[in-house]
Amino acid sequence: MKRLLGVALGVLTAIGGFLDIGDLVTNAVVGSRFGLSLAWVVVVGVVGICLFAQMSGRVAAVSGRATFEIIRERLGARAAGANLAASFAINILTLTAEVGGIALALQLASSVDPRLWMPVAALAVWLVLWRVKFSIMENVTGLLGLTLVVFAVALFQLGPDWGELAQQATTLAPSGTETWPSYWYYAIALFGAAMTPYEVFFFSSGAVEERWTAKDVGQSRINVLVGFPFGGVLSIAIAACAAVVFLPRAIEVSSLSQIVLPVALAGGKLALAVVIVGIVAATFGAALETSLSSGYTLAQFMGWSWGKFRRPAQAARFHLTMIVALLVGLSILMTSVDPVKVTEISVVFSAIALPLTYLPILVVANDPEYMGTHVNGRATNALALVYLVIIVAASAAAIPLMIATGAGA
Amino acid sequence: MTIARKTHDRTTYEKDAPQPGRVLDARLHLLDRQLLDVDDVPVTTIDDLEIHATGGDADPVGGPAVLTNLLTGPVLGTRILGGRPPSSRLERIAWSHVRAVDSAVKLGIHGSQLDATWVERWVRDHVIGRIPGGRHDPE
Amino acid sequence: MILSDLLDQPVREADGTPVGYVIDVRFVLDGPPVGPLATPRVHGVLVSPRTGSSFMGYERVDVRSPALLARWFAWRHRGTFLVHWQDVAAIDEDGVTLARDARRWAPGYERPAPA
Repeated sequence: MKRLLGVALGVLTAIGGFLDIGDLVTNAVVGSRFGLSLAWVVVVGVVGICLFAQMSGRVAAVSGRATFEIIRERLGARAAGANLAASFAINILTLTAEVGGIALALQLASSVDPRLWMPVAALAVWLVLWRVKFSIMENVTGLLGLTLVVFAVALFQLGPDWGELAQQATTLAPSGTETWPSYWYYAIALFGAAMTPYEVFFFSSGAVEERWTAKDVGQSRINVLVGFPFGGVLSIAIAACAAVVFLPRAIEVSSLSQIVLPVALAGGKLALAVVIVGIVAATFGAALETSLSSGYTLAQFMGWSWGKFRRPAQAARFHLTMIVALLVGLSILMTSVDPVKVTEISVVFSAIALPLTYLPILVVANDPEYMGTHVNGRATNALALVYLVIIVAASAAAIPLMIATGAGA
Repeated sequence: MTIARKTHDRTTYEKDAPQPGRVLDARLHLLDRQLLDVDDVPVTTIDDLEIHATGGDADPVGGPAVLTNLLTGPVLGTRILGGRPPSSRLERIAWSHVRAVDSAVKLGIHGSQLDATWVERWVRDHVIGRIPGGRHDPE
Repeated sequence: MILSDLLDQPVREADGTPVGYVIDVRFVLDGPPVGPLATPRVHGVLVSPRTGSSFMGYERVDVRSPALLARWFAWRHRGTFLVHWQDVAAIDEDGVTLARDARRWAPGYERPAPA
């Protein structure tokens, strides 16, 4: 019974923890502009993150080595250093977007200027990082994040033309006035939102935090393979809500209040309250994960002591890194930059940096010196190679498309 | 000579004799690996290695030579950007402290006994340890 | 001497013919025991004819999957060989010079059982 509860908890937190500001914003924007014609990318992204998270989690559980230790060891100081610089910058960008997302959600609930909420949000994130145990932190934000199921409920209550939605989902082409370059640009953005590298840094380091061993590989596989697809379903529900409400009116989503509008239309004030709780939980959880990831990546590259299972004083530089990352993110927000815009940029850069993280993990997951008998099977490797091609193609196409479309404008 | 080089690509060279001890390739097994202390606390990543001649020569090239120290500190910067720090600025961890070479390299002593951990101790004593709650377990 | 003085350096034969780059340095744990382990003796340098970059031994150890990747890395480092340390004549700013009669060996080694 206890074991079953453990499995259920793991799956539920994986669902609730799947969505972050990147998924919320990108899916809503895409839904409002392209309907469900890019829903297939969410499917591709979810399968990708399942594969990638599962490999990195297995490597961490079996060898005890987290992702950035592996990257440093395989790529050497110079290439891994370049990777660190890119990953760290994207991580700060994502952290900025998440803290901004918390503030925007709290603004919806309180009408208080988000710039007053931002320092409060950043302080709250730090306090949790400083004092709260890893497992509690993960379970609470994950379970509260489950309230985002309200997007799926809202979709049913909106009473959409299901045939029309199915039609959109099977028409893999831009609709109306949209062009092919912006279609592909948003395809990459969605892919980057589903497969953000920070999730992998967090997932593999989390495996070390929770002292997984080879015995826990099965449990982690269930969490990932069940939890993430449900998270993907929620992503598509967000896009579908936006497609139902905004696409016919040719309104492009550009703010958080628009993202939650379909839910409010469908379910009134109560549903709005629930979705705000969900967004605060999801962005708060992701802000914790990105702060931790900035500490994890730098500490693992440098070989510093890291981890929330240690007292802060026993992982001093790790905690200092997270404090600095939060302060940097907060100062970016204080320039009045729009967190939604920061999010849109961060997901595309995530896609650009992805191969640098993916390849070393794939290689080590095949190295018997690390993995013993837990090396990748043939099916995993076949799928992993297909994704290597997709990831490299998305990474290479991102910048030209960004320039060609003026970042999707 | 150019023709000979081309054929080298497909030449299978003769196998080296079996060695009397474990073989460690520097990049493959040591460089850029995590270094853990006796309690599995991370100490540093191995940034470079130091070699000395054993025969009393100053120059280890071509003569008998051994690995003496694992290096860390400023040498990481020069590995990435080029150049090399003066010998006095190398932070050394003697090979004699190494207990095992695995997916991480493990020491037989506490990290706090090493000079190379001074930055971590400084940040702990002057920054993180001074913030309330910094010396307690998370709850 | 530190290892950075050696890694990625161009390698020449005694007559100046370029033969490749140092991609790794091989140690053997058969020196005098100084602590828990024996002292690593410098056994030789691994030279790849093509590039200074190595992918961490993919071309040397028996990681064979995914087959496509393994083959690609092996292909990039085809022709890699080992030169014993006593056959290294000089190391200076211009790189590594081998002794006149330096012998080339296969780069593989017997892999210890996984820990």
